[in-house]
Amino acid sequence: MPPPSAPLTPGLASFLKSLKTNPIDTSIDNLISLLKRRQIRHSRSCATATAYLLRSVISACRTSDASKLIERVQSVGRRLIAAQPREMVVGNIVRRVLGLIRDEAEDDRDGDFSLSEAGSESQPQTPRAGDDPSEALYGRHDGSASKPLSSLAAHPISMFSLLSQPESENSLPGSPVSASPSGRLPGHPQNKDIRAEVLDGINEIIDELGQVDDQIAAYALDHIHSNEIILTHTSSTTVQKFLLKAAAKRKFTVIHAESYPNNHEATHATVSGTAPNNDELLSTESFQKPLIAHGITVILIPDSAVFALMSRVNKVILGTHSVLANGGLVASAGTRVIARAAKVHQTPVVVVSGVYKLSPVYPFDFESLIEYGDSSKVIGYEDGDLVEQIDVQNPLYDYVPAELVDLYITNLGGHAPSYLYRIVSDHYRKEDISF
Amino acid sequence: MANTADPALNPVSSPPAAPEPASKQSNTKMDQPQSQSQPQPQGQKAPKPAKPAKQQQPPKDKNASAAPADAAGSDKLSPAELKKKAKAEKAARRARERAEREQPGGGAGGAAGGQGTGTPAGKKGSDAGAAAAASAKGQKGIPRRGSAQNVPQSAAAELKKKQEDKNVAVFGHLYGQQRRTTVAGAGKEVHPAVLALGLQMRDYVVCGSSARCVATLLAFKRVIEAYTTPMGTSLSRHLTTHLSHQITYLSTCRPLSISQGNAIRALKLAISSIDPSVPESEAKTTLCEFIDTFISEKITVADQVIAGSAAQKIKDGDVVVTFAGSSIVKQTLLTAFKQGKKFRVSIIDSRPLFEGKNLARTLANAGLEVQYSLMNGVSHAIKDATKVFLGAHAMTSNGRLYSRVGTALVAMSAKERGGVEIPVIVCCETVKFTDRVALDSIVVNEIADADELVVTQPPHQLTDLPDPVAAAQPEPKKGGKAAASNPSPTESNTASNKDGSPLTDWRDTPNLQLLNIMYDVTPAEYVDMVVTEMGSLPPSAVPIVHRMSTNL
Repeated sequence: MPPPSAPLTPGLASFLKSLKTNPIDTSIDNLISLLKRRQIRHSRSCATATAYLLRSVISACRTSDASKLIERVQSVGRRLIAAQPREMVVGNIVRRVLGLIRDEAEDDRDGDFSLSEAGSESQPQTPRAGDDPSEALYGRHDGSASKPLSSLAAHPISMFSLLSQPESENSLPGSPVSASPSGRLPGHPQNKDIRAEVLDGINEIIDELGQVDDQIAAYALDHIHSNEIILTHTSSTTVQKFLLKAAAKRKFTVIHAESYPNNHEATHATVSGTAPNNDELLSTESFQKPLIAHGITVILIPDSAVFALMSRVNKVILGTHSVLANGGLVASAGTRVIARAAKVHQTPVVVVSGVYKLSPVYPFDFESLIEYGDSSKVIGYEDGDLVEQIDVQNPLYDYVPAELVDLYITNLGGHAPSYLYRIVSDHYRKEDISF
Repeated sequence: MANTADPALNPVSSPPAAPEPASKQSNTKMDQPQSQSQPQPQGQKAPKPAKPAKQQQPPKDKNASAAPADAAGSDKLSPAELKKKAKAEKAARRARERAEREQPGGGAGGAAGGQGTGTPAGKKGSDAGAAAAASAKGQKGIPRRGSAQNVPQSAAAELKKKQEDKNVAVFGHLYGQQRRTTVAGAGKEVHPAVLALGLQMRDYVVCGSSARCVATLLAFKRVIEAYTTPMGTSLSRHLTTHLSHQITYLSTCRPLSISQGNAIRALKLAISSIDPSVPESEAKTTLCEFIDTFISEKITVADQVIAGSAAQKIKDGDVVVTFAGSSIVKQTLLTAFKQGKKFRVSIIDSRPLFEGKNLARTLANAGLEVQYSLMNGVSHAIKDATKVFLGAHAMTSNGRLYSRVGTALVAMSAKERGGVEIPVIVCCETVKFTDRVALDSIVVNEIADADELVVTQPPHQLTDLPDPVAAAQPEPKKGGKAAASNPSPTESNTASNKDGSPLTDWRDTPNLQLLNIMYDVTPAEYVDMVVTEMGSLPPSAVPIVHRMSTNL
């Protein structure tokens, strides 16, 4: 990314700008190519782009039929995910939007019928085009404990619901949301403003994306005490905001590992307070006073010195790329050794992450989650002779298993890694987990 | 950097400035430079030349009008003004003195320069009232002199303040004096070979525990060859002190490695055990032979033995992970490759030295299959590893491995994989064993210059033709005479600021510290085996072997 051409580089900003003018199909293709070319890459940027795109998709959809909306969103979502399967937030946002539509549809239905849960269960299922047959099956068997197994056996695709299974049983009596998955709306076409309500919901998601860092930062004082030595890694805005919030009240020391080949420039800029010239992050919004301006001592170290310093560190605070339902996380490369070193030194590891990064995906194959980056960052072109002879690797992400993490702080509060599945099931409906 | 550069400005500006009333200058300027130099944290040099050019314009005008009055008669000045003037002068002098005192050893030459020019300038300033027949041309020089005079003071004072909090508190005990930057100031006893070696070690030209040990011994051999016992003393008594001058010099260039220390100890023992009655030439031959045997026994042959036995550990199909560039690991891998074993090497490297690059190049040239990644790829590289080979800077008596920073992370990752642990094998000559113990990497370590962490060369300079020219221009000027290069370093500075690392000015950024430690300590439980020339041992055997090898 050469600086002079920066304003011309397609990215989140240019995409959002073009979203208003371009026809919707062009926008979809546009985002797909941006994702494919990795011109939108931070998880938040991806999430924002997806949310805005889906908002336009829905507002362009001239129907108030929920099943049609779901179908449309699903098809767009599938394409987006296929464009960049490792960017899990895209799928997350699509799932949230799908859940929104379903909720609205159900609310409508509930309002019309004002029926109890039991009543709705006895309601005859209306077959829906494009609906996953497993859902209907699932919905019907919801009550009994032995049925999910059979449905799993019948539909390997719903292996994902393994995780949410205990929850659905717990919450069955309480929450109407998880109990009646399939929409019964087609019979009631008069639900006039379902689209408007979904759009409102998406706007809320977009607002959430904008506020999530501040919401997380609100918990900072609960976790950082005075005179603490905190180690962090990469230039994550979430972590910076979190630390800044605490810096307003307390004095502590931050040790910042520079995450060399992939993120060191941004990290250097972050620690020294130089304005990030990265236009993909909406720079006006993300620019802030650096920690050092608050009188916080920041010590920048190379990644290799992490182990040596870990014995002095009180807490490790990490940002992440996405969080998986099992409590593991996919974070920028180098995070795993840091978390591991912290574990060896009995130092608590805290991961700050917006809920939107929480993905219902269970990592059966960690390798598939890892993305490899530009090897010229590892060995530059001046060593071209060397590059020809050896295999240079530059992984962008690390999978960090859940046991290395002590605490997650999301915009909903602090959670143990073992509790994440519950938040996952709160946010995504299981019929949307694999849409 | 700034230290040496700033006083260098003095000679530039003082000559033209000579006639102008520095007193007045300081009068008008005294509070200004303080407030000015404070908000100019970036680059130090960068804004300075620009400032005198334009910012001084108003004071110059004032001077122009004030100068005639001054020239007409200094008695015209009110007593209050006089007092103020004297006070300002005093303050300036004091600040200058302070600045001179504060110039640390590195900038010795620069400090001298500052002193030499600074004082006369100040003196001139005091009698400048008379000499104030300042022509319009002379005016041009005025502001520069004022700034040149004042800025180094305040900058130096500031620098001092900064320097203090640029040391990471936890490592405060490790910041000794700065590494020596020149041979200037070295004792006359220091042999040229040692002088050269010191600088080579400082610049990492000679790098690595064994290499430094061998190089030191070879340099000392030349010292001994060139040595003549002074009258009235014996070789065994005097040579030790003569050597200790060399050793002191070497240790100011870079702290001595454990292996160097061990070798020096052995050499001193050999010297002191020479019978005073032995003729000098014979004693010198004995010592040179001793050095040769020591090198071959403890290092050259030891390396071959270690490489041979460590290579046996490599099997066909192995994936060997190694960290940074250890010479003994390199030898091991090459030996194994020559034995016809089919294996893959994965090198993990780290900033800022990138020692693994050389290793990768050597191995690749030899025909091995090499994979290369940086510290961020450890977890990935270790995933399909079957063995980890590490070099050592030293093995401590409690079995811990003291080696290049990052080694501990690699060893830890090797032990991470649940169930299947990857054997971690350390290759280490016994000359690197020490009776010191270490629990963490903080008490014992070496702090390298933090500026090494600042990414210096923007990659585009390779292709962009005009830039290197511009960059190269100030260089020779700076080397020769920092004189007229005032504006050009500015340009290059701002240029490098723009597309270089944002860390360029880290020393002027409050609360920001950079830490560049050289070593870390790997816990003994991460090390499965230490391959030495005396055999393959568990790390717990280190103290025993050390005792055996020193008692021999």
